[in-house]
Amino acid sequence: MKLILSTSNIMSGGPSVIRRPIFEKSNTELTSSLRANFTAHQSSPTPTPTAVNGTASPKPSFKTWTTQEGNTLWIPTHTPSPLAEPRESYDITVKLFYRPNIPADRRCVQTREAIDLVLKELGTSSIDLLIVSFPGISFDADDEDSDFDDPQSEPASEQDGAVQDAEDLPEDIDTMITTWRTLEKLHDQKVVSKLGIAEFGCARLEKFLPQTRVKPSVDQINVRDCCVVPKPLILYAKQQKIELLTHNDCTNVLPRGTLREILGSGEHGVGVLAGGALDAERLKGDVEPQWVVKYTAVVKDRGVVESKGYFAVAELREES
Amino acid sequence: MGLLAVGTPLEWPEAKKVAGHVRSWGIEQLLAIWRNAKGKERDALLWGDEVEYLVVCYDEENRKVRLSLRQADILAALANDEKLLEQGGGVPDVQRGPEKEADTTAPVFHPEFGRFMLEATPGKPWGIGFKDLLNVEPNMKWRRTIAKDHMAKEEYPITLTTFPRLGSPDCIVPSYPVSGPKLRSQYVPDEIANPHIRFPTLAANIRWRRGRKVEINVPVFRDENTPWPFKDPTVNYDLHQWPEDDDVRNGAAKENHIYMDAMAFGMGSCCLQITFQAKNIEEGRKMYDQLSPLGPILLALTAATPIYKGFLADTDVRWNQISRAVDDRTLEELGEKPLKNDRWRVPKSRYASNSTYISQDQRLRPDYLDPDLVIDKDIKQRLLDGGMDDLLATHFAHLFIRDPIVVFAEDLKELDLNKADHFENLQSTNWQHMRFKPPPPGSDTGWRVEFRPMEIQITDFENAAFSIFIVLITRAILSFNLNFYIPIKRVSENMETAHIRDAVSTQKFWFRKNPFSSHQPSKMNGTGASTPAEGSRPPTPFGPVEDEYELMTINEVINGQHSGEGGFPGLIPLVESYLNSMNVDVETRCELARYLDLIRKRADGTYWTTAKWIRHFVRCHPGYKKDSVVDDEISYDLVKAAEQITKAEGKDGLGREMLGRQR
Repeated sequence: MKLILSTSNIMSGGPSVIRRPIFEKSNTELTSSLRANFTAHQSSPTPTPTAVNGTASPKPSFKTWTTQEGNTLWIPTHTPSPLAEPRESYDITVKLFYRPNIPADRRCVQTREAIDLVLKELGTSSIDLLIVSFPGISFDADDEDSDFDDPQSEPASEQDGAVQDAEDLPEDIDTMITTWRTLEKLHDQKVVSKLGIAEFGCARLEKFLPQTRVKPSVDQINVRDCCVVPKPLILYAKQQKIELLTHNDCTNVLPRGTLREILGSGEHGVGVLAGGALDAERLKGDVEPQWVVKYTAVVKDRGVVESKGYFAVAELREES
Repeated sequence: MGLLAVGTPLEWPEAKKVAGHVRSWGIEQLLAIWRNAKGKERDALLWGDEVEYLVVCYDEENRKVRLSLRQADILAALANDEKLLEQGGGVPDVQRGPEKEADTTAPVFHPEFGRFMLEATPGKPWGIGFKDLLNVEPNMKWRRTIAKDHMAKEEYPITLTTFPRLGSPDCIVPSYPVSGPKLRSQYVPDEIANPHIRFPTLAANIRWRRGRKVEINVPVFRDENTPWPFKDPTVNYDLHQWPEDDDVRNGAAKENHIYMDAMAFGMGSCCLQITFQAKNIEEGRKMYDQLSPLGPILLALTAATPIYKGFLADTDVRWNQISRAVDDRTLEELGEKPLKNDRWRVPKSRYASNSTYISQDQRLRPDYLDPDLVIDKDIKQRLLDGGMDDLLATHFAHLFIRDPIVVFAEDLKELDLNKADHFENLQSTNWQHMRFKPPPPGSDTGWRVEFRPMEIQITDFENAAFSIFIVLITRAILSFNLNFYIPIKRVSENMETAHIRDAVSTQKFWFRKNPFSSHQPSKMNGTGASTPAEGSRPPTPFGPVEDEYELMTINEVINGQHSGEGGFPGLIPLVESYLNSMNVDVETRCELARYLDLIRKRADGTYWTTAKWIRHFVRCHPGYKKDSVVDDEISYDLVKAAEQITKAEGKDGLGREMLGRQR
């Protein structure tokens, strides 16, 4: 079964605003806004019987606040929130986080799927900038020459002790280029006006650029490093007309363990996935994150972020 | 401060007779503007900053510094500079060049109340483009350079809030005798004010309406050798030229206070004001309300005014001194006499913190409003009859409890609904810490909000930092739909707290604990009228108002509370969060980080406020006798040091306590 997790518009949902330390890369925004959106849906709109005999009610069945369509489960039940003003008022940026160990052809399908979700959410037919984040790449400004591929630099989330596996190794350029072809197609179809990548240093850019037909216009660098971006990269980017933008996302935005914990039956879970044999109603199986997409719509001439949110898609493989 | 119409100003007794007339015409003009502009939509964010300078004049030979009264000459030189005009700059009241569409437009200059002052603004408004933000500081530096280029070589445009020895003997050049007919001040001559008839009339009629001179008593800073009790040694009790000379004999000068007696002591202060254009009236009203509780915080954080009339004061900011310098309330209005001729007791000066909230926001609880707000009921009724909603009508009916001070006979002949002169007469002499500005008739301009509490800083780097910080805060407010509401009376209380010496590190301020609306699943919003699309949702259910806010340090308000979940996140982290949602290029982000870092460190005490630095400078000066006196020599060295800091921005070590290590 396919699980589609969504945050809805997180801009007015306070808890997701990142607190200190602000320069740390973090997936807190995603995880806390997912939780907040689940909680909001659990308590509304259909009143579930509360406080029976003075005791706190158990968590409502996930079926009351999720929707299954065919083989897809929307967590929570989702209604798009289209943008309020005419399309040309907005600057829409989408960032797609790929997961490791996914064949390039699947990833191409996923890309299309992610863009479609966002377009439908915002009620539009095009986006201005699509940035893709390949797994395992981590830019390090202190290491000028090489692109530093360091799995250790990803903060392993506490619940995620067992994740230091092959997940975090960077892919070779060829795999990336195969994926890039899909993006170029989206660009040709005018669904996306500009393309971007994240965390590319000079060396990787030099290998990557010659193989692209549509060049990336943007390379996103972690904000922590914005004052120490190596000169050569600045010069090279300028020369290639690539804009260096800042972000504060971590690359492995939704590790498997985190996802399992959020959906699980434990103290911090929302009770979609079964925790043991007793959870007869809940879903069983192995949950595997597929991709995460973040979208941001900014009213251009006012600098106001009107809509921002995430979709995360996972596969649930039922145990045979 | 632009120059309003010219004509024959009425003396106070005449002006008083037509006050009701002016008010009612002003209200009709307001209604006309409101009807025309209430549906204005989708205006871009445009904003502007105003920097005010003192023009100082060095007398190197005698190691003295005085205020230069050459404002008019300097403005004339600026208005006649061909090259400046060509670049779009100049003096709007006299002549300026055309705004450039694509190119940079040169800055423009304006007269101010004090004849020793100058104001400069960008030649055209800023937008939200991040590149625009980076132009602010260079533009401020450009303004100062241009200003300096049109001054005499011994003059310099300094950005101190007040001149340390204003009101002391021999503090202005050219010199004029004190005790003129307009101000009747025993410290400053009438020539201290801009000679444009509006300004002396304003000062004279405020005094006249009040029935006495204005009375400014600032607590003196008690140092080791300060005589105690302190009796201001500069007060002359033996003047007998004007009836107002009796003021001091009737106890106007308070013990342990520095005494001042003229509008120039307040309106001669320099500040840093920011004006924003909102996308529509709704957004303007929201910004007005949400920025209001930030006023006292920013006042304390920009504190820069520890000296008055040659004495160290025991306060750090200018606000209350200006408030008293233009306080035109009568004894009846002040509550010192029973009400007989006047209509009501008035708790605040015309220059004071806000007393109303105006946004039609479900989060605005009635409890936040002042139940004792004084309003003119007839005016409110007229506005309601004209179709205005209760909140906004209340706001203007509150502003309109005042009398117009300067009335020109010529303007009373015919009501012109395509003008705003009568409305502006009242609006622009209500100097609150926020100002809600309707669009001028017949212009493209949208609804605007002015943020007025900040004190000017010594360097353009700091002034740019605070300007940009406020701009980013407004964007965070609108993007996250932040809620800073606390009862308006608490905001006024905070304004008082901000005056306390070193309030930044010693005081706590009322502030809302949770600025977020409760998270609910987003609903479809068909009308599309609001941004963000979800609009303002009521945080249900309402708990007691007192539980919504608490006392916080400035550091907690700016940098966030550390007390785990649920603490106030801090204005800087909110701004960072906003920036993280935007596409910002690395160089811009790095520059913005410099500005935010200054504010972060001012708030946490790493860097000193200007007031603290100036006080320290005086107290460590070899000529200082620990008696609170800031004499000519200290004053000269202080102004010189300020100029030096303006130029080097701490790179040479001077002022590094305020600025840190600048690159």
